[in-house]
Amino acid sequence: MGVVIVLTPVVIGSWPVIAAAVTAAAAGLGLNVSEKVKEALQEEQQTNEQQVEVQLEDSQVLADSVASGKELVLTKDNITLKVTRDARGECKICASGQGYTQAELKQIAEQFSQKVSQCFIYNRTITELKRHNFQTVDEDVTEDGTIRVHVRRWED
Amino acid sequence: MAQHDIEITISKTGEVRVHVKGAKGKNCMEYAKWLTQVIGKVKDQKLTSEYYEPEEKNRIDLKQELRADD
Repeated sequence: MGVVIVLTPVVIGSWPVIAAAVTAAAAGLGLNVSEKVKEALQEEQQTNEQQVEVQLEDSQVLADSVASGKELVLTKDNITLKVTRDARGECKICASGQGYTQAELKQIAEQFSQKVSQCFIYNRTITELKRHNFQTVDEDVTEDGTIRVHVRRWED
Repeated sequence: MAQHDIEITISKTGEVRVHVKGAKGKNCMEYAKWLTQVIGKVKDQKLTSEYYEPEEKNRIDLKQELRADD
């Protein structure tokens, strides 16, 4: 009873906030994380390495000194995912790796992008609910990866 | 004292479903507006019978300063 709304998330935050969501998503997918200054990365691309870029939909990384020139590098097996803020301020995910097709890398990058959105929205929503004195009644993650949270507060 | 419950489901793709329970009338919509500000863009919205019930005397207080970097 009440109201039911379905929302499409908008991911807007400073680099540390986005980085927190990226780190949580990486942990959930078993990826290793390291934050590096882009200029310091001088790795040469392997000639046979495929590379795919996807945008994190409806995202904006707020410009600040921390965001400039930084990227998060995530690795697992032969796959590397690089998360950066592009010139327009959107969050960009670049997947590369040997032995994978462009389609496979695109799927991996998109799966990771969705996980980042999920983690970002979870962090942001829970923070706001707690700020307004809501208490968690129940919380679980279903088999398909959906997060369910039930919160409650009392009004005079 | 009125019990206000919110059930939030965040799918694997990031889509969010919010179900506000216990808050009646306009109070119900106050929660919906607030959570829309926090989360993103409305894709679908459905009012249930509780919305049409008489609301509590006191309006809920959701005054806040939404900060994008929170």
